[in-house]
Amino acid sequence: MTTPSFRDVEKLSTFLDGHLSQAENTRLEARIRSDPSVAAALADLRQARAILRRTPKRHVPRNFTLTPHMAGIRPPVPRLVPALSWASAMAMVLFVVTLGTNLLGQLSFGAAAPMLSAAPMTNENFGVGSGPAGTQAPAADNTQVTPTAEAYIMTAPEATAPGVTRLLPPAAVSAEKAAPEPVNIWLYIWLGLAVMLIAAALLIRQASLQAFRRKVGGKHNP
Amino acid sequence: MDETALIRNAQHGDLDAFNTLVLAYQDIVYNTALRILGDEDLAADASQETFISAFRAINSYRGGSFRAWLLRTVTNACYDELRRIKRRPTTPLEPETEDGDEVESPRWLADPNASPENQLDQAELEHAIQHCLENLPTDFRAVVVLADIQGLDYAEVAVAVKKPLGTIKSRLARARLRLRECLQAFRELLPAAFRLEEERDL
Repeated sequence: MTTPSFRDVEKLSTFLDGHLSQAENTRLEARIRSDPSVAAALADLRQARAILRRTPKRHVPRNFTLTPHMAGIRPPVPRLVPALSWASAMAMVLFVVTLGTNLLGQLSFGAAAPMLSAAPMTNENFGVGSGPAGTQAPAADNTQVTPTAEAYIMTAPEATAPGVTRLLPPAAVSAEKAAPEPVNIWLYIWLGLAVMLIAAALLIRQASLQAFRRKVGGKHNP
Repeated sequence: MDETALIRNAQHGDLDAFNTLVLAYQDIVYNTALRILGDEDLAADASQETFISAFRAINSYRGGSFRAWLLRTVTNACYDELRRIKRRPTTPLEPETEDGDEVESPRWLADPNASPENQLDQAELEHAIQHCLENLPTDFRAVVVLADIQGLDYAEVAVAVKKPLGTIKSRLARARLRLRECLQAFRELLPAAFRLEEERDL
């Protein structure tokens, strides 16, 4: 009787699980019968395995199911949403550019005004300097004697000769009002477009989110 | 729906299908983690992490035993956790007194006379097994937990721990030998467990 080597123990352990070849099985069974130490080692291994197999199973403390958030699933974004958002951003850029241009125009106009009020060639600067308007210069000059620019603005059209007035309407009559108007229309268009596009994007996004929530169940938080 | 169809659907991103698999396998995953880590909270965290990782990597599953594939993930999660604990130990393996001294005889090593032989319950057996498992090197522990406690065959264990069959056989034999020696110390405490085995051997 000899103490089984580790190689024997390994074979016995494999034999216990039924993973030896037929030939190895036969040889080992013969040794188990003839050598009590080998039989004892097999009994030890079997006992260890049997006790381990009786390890109590624990219940899980909670379910380990995944929420979409845990799984890293994000709600799908309809293709239209980024397109609309991009278009809205572009509309906003155009709005800002238009607004800036408009403000710059007004600023330059505002800066020019005091100079104009002091200068005798006011009407020429408004684009009426050519042709018959030239004949108006002395009349305008007379009005410039008034102490304030406001007074000039109020009185200038009245002082203008009737013939000249007829020639001026597109530019001079509404020099302050008519010029910015086309720009103002575009401001409204860009702003309105931007708001509508972003509202459409939000609505589509909301609808797709609701559809996603219905699909994955109300209990999950995306 | 059979397992193959559930796995295929999960691979296409169907979370409900994957969660059906989670419910089917969460017991074995949690119990494996519990036996390797020896701590319920850590085992729960490792189990949750296992299923999150498994869902993200499910397309790497190419057939074979899904159980073994899943248990490979949990084994890796447990190894990571054990490495983390080793780097930053937070709780002692043995209970401590209020003074911070280790208790030499924890509950499962208490005087057997305190408990009548026939009243030794499953908890004592569980504690004894857990104590002996924790005395094993991690690699041996994982193999014996998978083979003898969870009942995986050699091929599945080889997949789960990414080692060749020969290594599995060798580690299992060594682990069983060492556990036998350790459990022998509990023979008087756990006579029912040993007696049942001796009767079975007859």
